[in-house]
Amino acid sequence: MNSLKMRKLAFFLVLTIFALIAPQILDTFWVTLIMQILVFGLLALAVDLLIGHVGIFPLGHAAFFAVAAYTTAILEARHAQPTIIAAFAGVASALILALVFGLAVRTKGVYFILVTMAMGHIVWGVATRWSSFTGGDNGVGNIPLPKIGSLAVSGYRDYYYVVLIVVVIFTLAYRVIVRSPFGTTLRGIRESESRMRSLGYHVAAHKYAAFLLSGGFAGVAGVLYIYLNRFVSPPTAAFHLSAEVSLMTIVGGSGTILGPFLGSIVILIIRNYVSAHIMQWATVMGVVFILTVLYAPRGLMGLIGRRPSPGIPPPPTGVPKKQ
Amino acid sequence: MNWVVQTLNGISMGALLFLLASGFTITFGLARVVNLAHGAFYLLGGYMGLTILWVTKSFWLALLAGGLSIVVLNYFCERYLIRRTQGNELGQVLLTVGIVYVIADIALVIWGGNPLRIAQPEIARGSIDLPFGIVYPRYRFLLILFGIIIGAGQWLLYRKTQLGAIVRAGVDNRETVGAMGINIDRLLAMVFAFAAFLAGMSGVAGGAFLTVYPGAEWDILVLALVVVIVGGLGSLEGAMVGSLIVGLVDAYGRWLLPEFSYFVVFGPMAVLLLFRPTGLFGREV
Repeated sequence: MNSLKMRKLAFFLVLTIFALIAPQILDTFWVTLIMQILVFGLLALAVDLLIGHVGIFPLGHAAFFAVAAYTTAILEARHAQPTIIAAFAGVASALILALVFGLAVRTKGVYFILVTMAMGHIVWGVATRWSSFTGGDNGVGNIPLPKIGSLAVSGYRDYYYVVLIVVVIFTLAYRVIVRSPFGTTLRGIRESESRMRSLGYHVAAHKYAAFLLSGGFAGVAGVLYIYLNRFVSPPTAAFHLSAEVSLMTIVGGSGTILGPFLGSIVILIIRNYVSAHIMQWATVMGVVFILTVLYAPRGLMGLIGRRPSPGIPPPPTGVPKKQ
Repeated sequence: MNWVVQTLNGISMGALLFLLASGFTITFGLARVVNLAHGAFYLLGGYMGLTILWVTKSFWLALLAGGLSIVVLNYFCERYLIRRTQGNELGQVLLTVGIVYVIADIALVIWGGNPLRIAQPEIARGSIDLPFGIVYPRYRFLLILFGIIIGAGQWLLYRKTQLGAIVRAGVDNRETVGAMGINIDRLLAMVFAFAAFLAGMSGVAGGAFLTVYPGAEWDILVLALVVVIVGGLGSLEGAMVGSLIVGLVDAYGRWLLPEFSYFVVFGPMAVLLLFRPTGLFGREV
């Protein structure tokens, strides 16, 4: 075993031990923050399937996240459905939405960005205006802690482990997906759509499938979020979240697995820590947007020299694309 | 007679959207710049105009100041920030989103969180009597006329003058226009300035009937985006038709289906894109 592998192993070992004992050694603020980092990291990972592997840039993923959160919240709070049904319905609703919004893959380049942004805004609009169903600006609250059969989560420390396990399982699944022939095909599309088409690949179907997967992962993150936050309101569906999640993947390093989580750490620390100390946190966030695009287009993973998925050229983010 | 009033509301909203969207779409056509800061330009233009209005009591100076202040701001944003993201779509989008965050946050500090109304000019106050006993606000009626004048002027400039021909040639092939000995950078600077002026001015024009408030930057930007998506990025005619469609659908939606008014605007857009992925007048980008 060479030293790089050893170091990698040691890193993951330390990470695992830390993740397991975190609720025992940290206070509520930090444990909650770690849960948020995991949940939003999973959302960023979902977005990065499209940015880093397919090379298309969605700006409306808050929609899937929010629809899953709203569905689960309404089933739990208003209809007293068991967690297992509410959670599955949440993910299913995100998938159904992705089936519809996925039609956006018919558009290219800037159009795709603008169309997904507009589509995301529909969900925000419905959450805000259809107040008889979504609660309008008051949102949906009083969501109980999850409970499956006789297994009940009794507090945030318990829930931390639920979040950890679910996020780890889905991240591993994601790793399998991007390393499968399907993932390779997606990156082939990123490099040259016309070449993949002439090789006989059904490009549109692959893009659509990737979009569905991405929406589904975002839905899982939304369900985890609702039991963590236990309240959902229109800002969860807002464009700000979509933009910040895209920023997370860029800050961390697009096309990698750890990158989106690293980006989630950076952005959420700015959101939680800076906003507690500086009134103008939005300005700070705006400056982070600008500086990242100008000076760290490959993100933190890029700064430490990590290339996205071995053997594959880095994603186009930050690099002028050949016209 | 409600239909007539709502139709006029839709057309006047369309006129406002056209002011903002036409600049956005031409800028994109010529420079391939996706400048989401246009929403913030609208907001800041409105606030700057409002401040000038407080000082000078003149609506027309306010309109001018709103436009000019954004020309200056856009010059710096373009030269020092946006230009460095040429050809990188996501980078450009995220960078201009960053600009929106900063501008909106600073505006919040200076002008506060309450909606502020820009006083309408003397000649545009009150209402006018239209045929069939319809009474309609004079300001909105004049806004429609203003939108038609700006639209017609832009169309003549774009289609009938040499300058317009150069801009159109630039949209089709920048390199060749440059090789013909035309200073494409100066041309770009002019188009950027023009678009920014329209954006800033639209903030003042819109603020006089929609008020200026934090969040207006996203509300108006999203509608303007739908306009350019429906009309086709880079097409002036598309911006005209798109503005009218979006303005009307928005007005009818707010009136008939208030809970789904957003859906009413975006639904047709999504359907249209299924059949024409580049919008009504757009071409492959």
